Amino acid sequence: MKTLNLKQLFTQYKILALLIAIAIIWAFFSWKTEGGFISPRNLSNLMRQMAVTGIVACGMAFVIIAGEIDLSVGSLLGLLGGVAAVLDVTHHLPLPATIAVVLACGLVLGLFNGYLTAYKHIPSFIVGLGGMLAYRGIVLGVTDGVTVAPVSEPLVNLGQGYLSPQMGVVLGVGLFVLGAVLTWRQRASLARHGLPVPPMWRDGLRLAAIGVVLFAFVRTLNSYEGIPLPVLLLLVLLGVFSYVATQTVFGRRIYAVGSNMEATRLSGVNVQAVKLWIFGIMGLMCALAGLINTARLAAGSPSAGTSGELDAIAACFIGGTSMRGGSGTVYGALIGALVMASLDNGMSMLDVDTYWQMIVKGCILTLAVWVDVATRSGRR
Amino acid sequence: MSGYLLEMKGIVKKFGGVPALDGIDLQVRAGECIGLCGENGAGKSTLMKVLSAVYPHGTWDGEILFDGKPLRAQSIRESEAAGVVIIHQELMLVPELSVTENLFLGNEITLPGGRMDYSAMNQRAEALLKELNLTDVNVVLPVSNYGGGHQQLIEIAKALNKNARLLILDEPSSSLTTSEIQVLLNIIRGLKAKGVACVYISHKLDEVEAICDTIVVIRDGQHIATTPMDKMDVKQIIAQMVGREMNQLYPTLERTPSEEIVFEARNVTCYDVEKPERRKVDNVSFALRKGEILGIAGLVGAGRTELVSALFGAYPGRSEAEVWLNGARIDTGTPLKAIRAGLALVPEDRKQHGIVRDLDVGQNITLSVLGRFSNFTRIDREAELKVVSEEIARLALKTASPFLSITSLSGGNQQKAVLSKMLLTRPKVLILDEPTRGVDVGAKFEIYKLMLELASQGVSIIMVSSELAEVLGVSDRVLVMGEGKLRGDFVNQNLTQETLLSAALDHS
Repeated sequence: MKTLNLKQLFTQYKILALLIAIAIIWAFFSWKTEGGFISPRNLSNLMRQMAVTGIVACGMAFVIIAGEIDLSVGSLLGLLGGVAAVLDVTHHLPLPATIAVVLACGLVLGLFNGYLTAYKHIPSFIVGLGGMLAYRGIVLGVTDGVTVAPVSEPLVNLGQGYLSPQMGVVLGVGLFVLGAVLTWRQRASLARHGLPVPPMWRDGLRLAAIGVVLFAFVRTLNSYEGIPLPVLLLLVLLGVFSYVATQTVFGRRIYAVGSNMEATRLSGVNVQAVKLWIFGIMGLMCALAGLINTARLAAGSPSAGTSGELDAIAACFIGGTSMRGGSGTVYGALIGALVMASLDNGMSMLDVDTYWQMIVKGCILTLAVWVDVATRSGRR
Repeated sequence: MSGYLLEMKGIVKKFGGVPALDGIDLQVRAGECIGLCGENGAGKSTLMKVLSAVYPHGTWDGEILFDGKPLRAQSIRESEAAGVVIIHQELMLVPELSVTENLFLGNEITLPGGRMDYSAMNQRAEALLKELNLTDVNVVLPVSNYGGGHQQLIEIAKALNKNARLLILDEPSSSLTTSEIQVLLNIIRGLKAKGVACVYISHKLDEVEAICDTIVVIRDGQHIATTPMDKMDVKQIIAQMVGREMNQLYPTLERTPSEEIVFEARNVTCYDVEKPERRKVDNVSFALRKGEILGIAGLVGAGRTELVSALFGAYPGRSEAEVWLNGARIDTGTPLKAIRAGLALVPEDRKQHGIVRDLDVGQNITLSVLGRFSNFTRIDREAELKVVSEEIARLALKTASPFLSITSLSGGNQQKAVLSKMLLTRPKVLILDEPTRGVDVGAKFEIYKLMLELASQGVSIIMVSSELAEVLGVSDRVLVMGEGKLRGDFVNQNLTQETLLSAALDHS
């Protein structure tokens, strides 16, 4: 009976299993590196590494929930990062202009992918595969196959800058208050509709856990330099994407399209437009990720973002997004990205050979999806 | 108590602590046909899944004796080896494979080296189909060449090929036409004569009456009664199923349909998706009055679903249609445009085209009108829930909460949710394609009542249905289609099933 409860608990709170997995991974690397892994400096670095994959994973979560896939994001990220570098280094454009142009390019290319998928009925897998090759080819053409450097100071700051510690504290407190308000409002709403309200201790415990995590997060990062700007951006995106997914008409339609496109279409939803904009958003996220990546490396590299699509897709699946579409969460995808980044970072610290890193990541991805499938309630 | 081929004793099956079956007994003799009756959600399908080991031995309590020996199958394969074969409501054929390949799927006859012995299999397949009097089937052609009725019979042949001694038929006739049902019933009679036992599950009680020797009624997971058919009639079965007397199958409501024509379809033509030169619907035109219920009858494949899909902009192939509403030509090129113009369609295939599995009951209901609850982008959950609660109450939709998964509801309640979703768009013309397929008697009555109420409020309704009794029970006027053409237009006064059927079959 006890094991049953445990299984039910995991089925209900899949996220719990993931957090435990992260705890185990972190504990292992900390032990192996004699604490080096959980030093504030390394964690700050880890978070920054994760930001690029995380930004792409946000968009990818929507794409996969809608029942599609986008394989072109790695190349698109590289292309847009390259465009950013070229605009900055060769054309000396001011930073806001660079950002605007890159975002616009990302949106247009994303919408183009979406147009081919939604209106021309080319399977997104093929559109992605084609894009993966073509966009990478354009990067090589634009950069002549050489690294574009050095990138200007303001742009570098975007990837390597920090939020001041005071602001970090304000942010942490703000997020905690937001969490408390949302929990309280949810309880009130459940009660008003005569639905079972979870016991006070459980919500209290959850809130306390959020508080502890936020405190540890802000404190650790502040004891190095502060919250890295890419991580701040990722937090903002997490908020925006979660809001869109759970609170808006567009978000509801993403889930509906992914779960049963035909029924959704017959309900009078313009499913083609929904798909078009999902890919548009994906393109925007590639633009952001490309900018951050170029800024972080202080250079536009022609190979930037190679296999980035695989990391993002893996993050989504580890985070519990369904392959068939129709279910999944953005925070799950980000936790998945954290798992991938932790593995990368820890194994690099241990000087594990690249080939071993790939083997381990591949196994973890397969294992995570197996656990997800095995704990799914329905047998089909 | 021997002499029974199958004995199920005290079967209890729980889902998450809630009993779906609460101590059911069932006995079947060789050569006997049992009619298993009960409303949706009564536990019929669950019981048959226990029997056919979809739920393996150990996940339920009780005992199954087959041929006097305990049956403890762990998988469908094991129960089939014992001789229990289930034919599901949904067809389980692979459309791209040939008839032979389907018949032998999983039991292929092989030559040394694992090659398929096609000549042996084709021969056996032809013999099997001949036994079923299915002589117009070419066994080497893909199954997709044949219609739903033939496919159902091929399923039965497949079961016989497994040496079935007990055949479970779960709603076998839901996609069959009247004449095809007769063929099916004759085949079952033949099987009975050969000593094959059957468990027949159907909402169509006239079939149950025609074919079954014994009626077993279950309700809410409880065994209600086992009665020989010759001591019962359909009325009594219904009374046992619903636990009360059902005096009428169709509600009545005093209405005065107006003469005003609100909707017109002119020259509707649909071309086959695969073979574009073939016409599935051939130049059909009709008009609809305000507050009128128009039934569209016909055999399966007559083009009825294609016709209404084309009117709603949902036909997958090429189609031409001129649609007029209130004297103005409207564009119904896509479902979205059709809904905006004032049309609504409740599709035939609830699973594929009706419900969205990953959304909860409430979210399914509001899917069509989500924009109404949002200012700019955010969904006003309070307003949404208010409408959902009103809808659940209005349609008497049985669900413990709007937050439950739509898949946890019975077929009838899922249908009400889909209906509610389309009604929220406040249509002027409501198109219902087989609105009561797989829906139990109680919910059927409620759906008919709702249709009459809507009609009396001035909504015009088009109802496509394969159940002639239902067409006659609720329609004001009946169109009959056959081979893509309009074959008759009758006012529903002293109209009989025979008239409709002969119109549908007419080749002149």
